[in-house]
Amino acid sequence: MKVGTWRLLLPLAVLAVGATIGTSGALATTGQAGEVRVAIMTDCKGAFAFGFEVDTAGVIAAFSQYAGAKPTNKKKPSAGMIGGRAGGKRINLVGIGCGDETPALALKETRRLMVQLNADVMLGPLSGDEAVAIANWAKQNPKKTVIIGTAGSQDPTMQIAPKNLFRYHGDGAQWNAGLGEIVYKRLGWRTAAIIGDDYSFPWTSAAGIIADFCGIGGRITKRVWTPPTGGDYAPFVRQLPRPNQVDGYFWLVGGANTSAALTAFEQAYGPLDAKQHSGNLFLYFLGANTTVAPRLVGAYMGGFGTFQTGGLKTRQATAYVRAASRWFPGYNVNDGFFYNYWNATWALVQGLNNSKGAVGPGLQRALPRTLKPGFQVANNGVLRLDSRRQAIQDQYPLQITRAAGEGTVSTSIVGYVPNVDQTFGGYFGPSKPAPGRNYPPCVKRKLPWQGKIKVVKNGVITNQVIK
Amino acid sequence: MTLDGAKVYTERAIGIGALVLAVLAPVLVSGFWLNSILTQALILGIGAASLIFLSAYGGMISLAQTGIMGIAGYALANMVTQRVPGGETKGLLLGWNPTVALVAAILLTVAIGLLFGAVASRSFGIYFLMLTLTYTVIAFLFVGSVTLIGGFSPVAGVDIYTPGFIGDIATDRNRLYYITLITSVFVYVLVRYLVRTPFGISLQGIRDEPVRMASLGYNVAVHRTLAFGIGAFIAALSGVLYAWWFGQLSPTTMGLDATIQLLVIAVIGGLRRIEGAWLGAIAFLFITNEITNRIPSSGLPVIGGTFNTVVGFIFLAIVIVSPDGLMGLWDKAWSAARRRGGPPQVEVESSDAAAVTS
Repeated sequence: MKVGTWRLLLPLAVLAVGATIGTSGALATTGQAGEVRVAIMTDCKGAFAFGFEVDTAGVIAAFSQYAGAKPTNKKKPSAGMIGGRAGGKRINLVGIGCGDETPALALKETRRLMVQLNADVMLGPLSGDEAVAIANWAKQNPKKTVIIGTAGSQDPTMQIAPKNLFRYHGDGAQWNAGLGEIVYKRLGWRTAAIIGDDYSFPWTSAAGIIADFCGIGGRITKRVWTPPTGGDYAPFVRQLPRPNQVDGYFWLVGGANTSAALTAFEQAYGPLDAKQHSGNLFLYFLGANTTVAPRLVGAYMGGFGTFQTGGLKTRQATAYVRAASRWFPGYNVNDGFFYNYWNATWALVQGLNNSKGAVGPGLQRALPRTLKPGFQVANNGVLRLDSRRQAIQDQYPLQITRAAGEGTVSTSIVGYVPNVDQTFGGYFGPSKPAPGRNYPPCVKRKLPWQGKIKVVKNGVITNQVIK
Repeated sequence: MTLDGAKVYTERAIGIGALVLAVLAPVLVSGFWLNSILTQALILGIGAASLIFLSAYGGMISLAQTGIMGIAGYALANMVTQRVPGGETKGLLLGWNPTVALVAAILLTVAIGLLFGAVASRSFGIYFLMLTLTYTVIAFLFVGSVTLIGGFSPVAGVDIYTPGFIGDIATDRNRLYYITLITSVFVYVLVRYLVRTPFGISLQGIRDEPVRMASLGYNVAVHRTLAFGIGAFIAALSGVLYAWWFGQLSPTTMGLDATIQLLVIAVIGGLRRIEGAWLGAIAFLFITNEITNRIPSSGLPVIGGTFNTVVGFIFLAIVIVSPDGLMGLWDKAWSAARRRGGPPQVEVESSDAAAVTS
């Protein structure tokens, strides 16, 4: 065969094969009677790429625990699951969305999962801006149901709040409840600067700290926002006040970029002083535990409604850890990513049982407004949803601690903040702007838990309050 | 009939057939394929057409088209969305009349396009490429950094506020599909018409011999600027349609990835023929969608999370085999047929023949 001929035939053959495959895809994917089609939306690219398997593990473990499914591969959650029934219907896990924390890709993936693969319910997404985009999408697609996986932006359940969207965990502000008061009281901070990524989750995360820290009398002297595209943080840390000009810094850089940002700070101002740094969950999570956290032993950080290394000694927490650990032995079930997707899935199973397998508005009415997740203590361990279907959740500020093994660190719970609601007792609200670069303002105000944060020692909630 | 004549007739027949299929598409394919693949392909095809127009007839490979699309989309989004309870949370939320906003967004984009074009009109080759890439980067960082007009979070609800003559495209996606189809046909006819006008012919002369055209008295910079403005107009149409189709805008829709995506579409389709824009868009979306659905998530664990690599290899293969893309492949097939049938039958006037031999 002449060279010219195969150069023509090869691509034509590729196209022909592709067209054959595509023809099957072009036909509508329809659900079968007797099944509920479920999709998982998470990230497999970008700063949260690690979440792909962890989130999936949370979902499949919960389906295994509560709906009779079995993981296909205990070491690889994304391999899927076998079986699973709820409300008399077979659970069909139709796909996993692969986002990169950007709203554009999240929306494309949502459409692929919910329209092309015709999922009835989506468990996810993982990240803040993704949730904003998907909440707006959900508003226009009321027959589809979205249960947020572990995204922390405020807007989806506050300002947008479509009736078909549920969140069984706190938002980024709730996760930081109590942190500002702790650094104010224990470290004597009076002034602080904030540095975070320039999108909805860090804004929400900062909003919680600002409300808490300013509420008790602290002052934020500078807010620096960095483009969430990663890269070089040196120009941005240089915009922060110098270490002798401020009592402390709150770090709200998302995902795996925390390490890069803190390293840039070290290069600019010298070694880190743990007493001068605080931040949200990403001070420890997503790889920071092996990079910068070992140099921040003693620093206080926001939680996740859970904690990385366990330790809460309640019957409910112990039961959760025992049950969840059965399905994927290599995965840390105390991790908030696992925990939040687990709870979302558990709520879905309850909802399907209540609705007798009905999806759409029937399922939305039947989804539980209360849940008994592992790490809830208040209300006898019952977590409630508010009127916008957002969790009112206990929070646990953490401290980075040294662990066994040279250079390894862990976290321990230092405080217990019961029943943190999304409005912070009216500080935020549906008619108020969503958190942004300059919102909320720094004002002194009494928050519901101010002066009432309980000390947690060795995993036991004491009657002492943080002083 | 000569072989060249047969090719023209075949292409026309295929074109008409494709148009008939496109009109019937809503009854032939699923809602997802209509909305997410075909509608998107038509929109990106229009965007790629603006790139191919500049490249094929002006000799300007522009990387600014995605940025210009984004400018149009963002302008429209900021002008039409409103601050209402349970409504959108990002952007200026000006709440303008959608028709006024549509016209204003397109005019603003064309004005910016002309400005961009004027600045770049004296640059050629790699310098033009880099300059136009800079435009897109500026646009990306501007909308990302100025949170007042959006920031990195999405500006949503654009598809709710459409002019009366466009109608409800948020729920009636067939309507949006037909609007994009009509716009595609309009853009195709517009480009085919423009390249036959004196302006279009002189533009092609500038593409081939800018120095000679300048010495003949043509204002090269003005021609190139105007061409860029026309490209901006076509890109603005694509940007507006994209905003309506997607419903939400974030900077990544006009970032580097999106720029490369549009370039890949144009290259796959073929940078020398305007038809390649839509062909490239359909091929690109078809391949990416099919590969994406074959990651383990869909229960077909054959490729894993490396589907971007697989997609990349497929595109690489297409470009290596046919540098002029799929349209080039088509032309090559006819050239091969012509070679088998002997030398091309070209009828030339005796005076032209004399000129050739002299």
